[in-house]
Amino acid sequence: MGSYDLVDVEVTHESADDLLDSLSEDGAEEDHLQSIQAVRLQAGQPDSELRSLKELDENSVKLLEHQVDAAYRALFEMDGKALLADEVGLGKTIEVGMILKEMHFRETDESVLILTPAQLAKQWQAELREKFGLEFVCNYDDEFEDFDAHDYIIASIDTAKSERHRQTVLDRDWDVLVLDEAHYVKNEETDRYDLIDRLSYNYAFFLTATPIQNELTDLYNVVSLLRPGLFGTRDVFHQYFVNSNQETLVNRDELQDRLNKVMIRNRREDTDIDFTDRTIDTRTFNPTPKERELYQAVSDYVKGAYSQDQGQKLVLMLLQKEVVSSPVALKETIEKRLYEQSELTHADELESILDLIEEIDTVTKQERLLDIVEEVRDTVEMGRVIVFTQFRATQRQVLDRLASEGYTVHAFHGGHSSSEKEQIVEDFEEEGGILVSTDAMSEGRNLQFCNLLVNLDLPWNPMRVEQRIGRVHRIGQKRDVFVFNMALKDTVEEYVLERLYHKIDLFQQSVGELSSILSRLEESGTSFEDQIFDRLVNAGSEVDLENDFDAMAVDLQEQRELADKLEEFNNGVFEGFDLGESDD
Amino acid sequence: MTEAALAVTQSLVEEFTECYLKSLGGTIEKRGDTWEVAIPDNEDTELPAGSLSLLCDADRDEDATGESLHPESEFFQRILREATERRPTGNLSIEADRDDVEIPQWIKEGDVEVIEAQFTPYYDRTAIVVLFEVSIETVSEYQQEFLRAIAIDHRSEQRLPALEETFLQMMSITTNDSPTTTQSSLSETDARSLLNTAQDQLMNSIQNEIEEVHNEASRAADAEVEEYRQLQQQRIQELEEERSKLSLKIDELSEAINGSDQNDRVEALKKRKEAKGEYEEVDSELGVLHEQRDQGFPQKQEEIRKRHALDIRVTPLTVTQVEYERGEIDIELVEQGVSRTVTLGYGSGIGTTDTVQCSSCDSVLSVENPLNTIKDSLRCRACSTSND
Repeated sequence: MGSYDLVDVEVTHESADDLLDSLSEDGAEEDHLQSIQAVRLQAGQPDSELRSLKELDENSVKLLEHQVDAAYRALFEMDGKALLADEVGLGKTIEVGMILKEMHFRETDESVLILTPAQLAKQWQAELREKFGLEFVCNYDDEFEDFDAHDYIIASIDTAKSERHRQTVLDRDWDVLVLDEAHYVKNEETDRYDLIDRLSYNYAFFLTATPIQNELTDLYNVVSLLRPGLFGTRDVFHQYFVNSNQETLVNRDELQDRLNKVMIRNRREDTDIDFTDRTIDTRTFNPTPKERELYQAVSDYVKGAYSQDQGQKLVLMLLQKEVVSSPVALKETIEKRLYEQSELTHADELESILDLIEEIDTVTKQERLLDIVEEVRDTVEMGRVIVFTQFRATQRQVLDRLASEGYTVHAFHGGHSSSEKEQIVEDFEEEGGILVSTDAMSEGRNLQFCNLLVNLDLPWNPMRVEQRIGRVHRIGQKRDVFVFNMALKDTVEEYVLERLYHKIDLFQQSVGELSSILSRLEESGTSFEDQIFDRLVNAGSEVDLENDFDAMAVDLQEQRELADKLEEFNNGVFEGFDLGESDD
Repeated sequence: MTEAALAVTQSLVEEFTECYLKSLGGTIEKRGDTWEVAIPDNEDTELPAGSLSLLCDADRDEDATGESLHPESEFFQRILREATERRPTGNLSIEADRDDVEIPQWIKEGDVEVIEAQFTPYYDRTAIVVLFEVSIETVSEYQQEFLRAIAIDHRSEQRLPALEETFLQMMSITTNDSPTTTQSSLSETDARSLLNTAQDQLMNSIQNEIEEVHNEASRAADAEVEEYRQLQQQRIQELEEERSKLSLKIDELSEAINGSDQNDRVEALKKRKEAKGEYEEVDSELGVLHEQRDQGFPQKQEEIRKRHALDIRVTPLTVTQVEYERGEIDIELVEQGVSRTVTLGYGSGIGTTDTVQCSSCDSVLSVENPLNTIKDSLRCRACSTSND
């Protein structure tokens, strides 16, 4: 491959004198046979079994074949430095749990550092404790002192790289480093990359479902952190594996051979995981005349204000989203604007919107939500239903309403501490009832014990929608999953649902498929939400608006095709990482 | 090439330990996962004479007393060390069972039935099989260690790959039919000469593996050199910026010297001298760096490449003299009433030594292109299929 100078090779043949001396020695007949057998055993891999497996409690964790295989290969075939790159939802955390358990069993884990995105740290801690009996201290725990004070630490990568802790983290020789969502360190010019690059460790396990986000350089960077030099220099790598326009790969077989030394990738289709079915029930409701009037007033205000001052985009977008979530959410934002900003233009318009809000006594969505929970309460276990909303004000009102109807309710939002969040999820599991949650829930928490979810309002970012669903529809979910989407007729929500989400078949996409579409959108700098908003405020008429959304659906289809192309590219790179072929 | 190392499972550990302790004259009484062992006073072992409990279950009760017996246990490692040193050279005879000869693959894979096969030995031959431990080490790669068997015929000094396979099969750990080994009759001179040939053959056979590690280590060295080069380039840029700043400062100070009074002038002269000193220092460092860069940082390159160099160690661990027989086999074949006898050179433990060609196309019969018919003559599958 490429051009590089070869390093020297020195071959030493050890003396055979002692060995040949034994030719003249007497001995028992069978001794030679045993000497040969002993030599062969000595050279053999010392026990290549996961010996800690039988210590695991089957009730706490059900291990799947591909997970055991991955843990085994990472430990024994990759000498404890591996990139675990299974597709989303195949249980990479479980794989690492098994690896850490085995290392603990073999006493090769005196110090372990697990770095994760901030919102996942507590989840890691809970999973390792509950499923594997491994106790870690998390940097959000009260007892956490510093990185030199504990031997088993789970921390947010940003805490570890902070001015305050960085040196302590770097001063220590860690036995094991685990890096979750390793694609966050794909850019070699970031502090995160620098931290990992400088860390000292014996064993490392990096996790990511999307090793290639954008281009092959991402993979180069992540792999080079784990196994410096595996791909040689960046230039040589590019010259050798990627043709100049980044579109196609060259020398694919060799790339795979090299990746095989460090990366394990299981694909959903290759595993024996049986995902349960997902049923989507989208319900659109006629708003009351008052609600329609309010929607129209807010939409007109947003359009007018935006045409005059595009700097207010975020808040205007917020108003447009709140009006379909609940009047009370809208009210809070408007009041805040009115009473906290002295030089506000269109204050009179906002005042009249407030008046319209006051006139609303029936909130259609909340009434219909009662219908849905009533309809399903006897068909789901312990009546467990999760209701998602984007807004705290809506959440409060829905909670009050449900409680007043006699339902057991639980609230989950970003304002809770980590331990409170744990407790809420635990209570919900034990007591049943209705959990009303904001999207703070969407990150990493597993709620497989529940199989019914209601989207009271819809985020304009499809990834958020899938993340909500992903909380319940993942490995461990034994029942079919039901998703109810609620939307008001002739509102932006209906457009987003009907024209966009259904057209790209959003609700049936797997997280992996969707993320590849959306990460393309995000990387290209065009926010999905921005696009929706721009079309909404710029449309001249109802017909224009419909056409605009159709046009966006076409764009989205194109992105999907591009994403398919990227997937094809990824598959090209990773072909041969299927189960079963790894033992060659 | 077959890896000679054995995968160390608990059952192999137990079997080997049992055989070894018995060979020392010991007795074993098994009670579930606990073995009560009695070891006699024996000069061949440093294991303490007397009784001992061996615990085979990894999840044993904390209170149980005795030595653990598992792949990594101290006791097992100790007996392995002792056993390897006991008798690294010896002799093995491979006698052919005349009626149970190994039929060549090109017949087995084909469509013709074998009625009978009989081996007639003509000569006794000798070979040696050496177990070599090979370790390949470099800073950027994990150390690779493997165990390889190389068989060399005494007379022809040719390598006998089939004998390597047979040897490893016979010398594996099994409870039944273990072969008998005796003392080797090889002279030290003969053994040394064959060992040297075996060493050369070993190096040929592991060339690909070495090349792979060699390339990887070279790439890693290259990446490190490149990183160093970039770091130095960065340093050069910093120094160049610093030098131009100093140059500017010197110019400014020179102007100040011309236009100021006595006191200020003295102060400015002092400062200019300091600045010039710094300038020269930076300039000289830059000069050195530029020179090194233009030459491609030879010293650093050498240092890095030296550090990444491959260190390969080859250690012969055991030498076995193997006595085997050479002669011929007659294989009687039959196909739809037509029978034909094929006679081939054959050796016990090495199988057939001759190749046979298709009478129609002259290609050598093989697993991929086996014997298809004997009706008119021996013909391969490719020819028979194309004529159908």
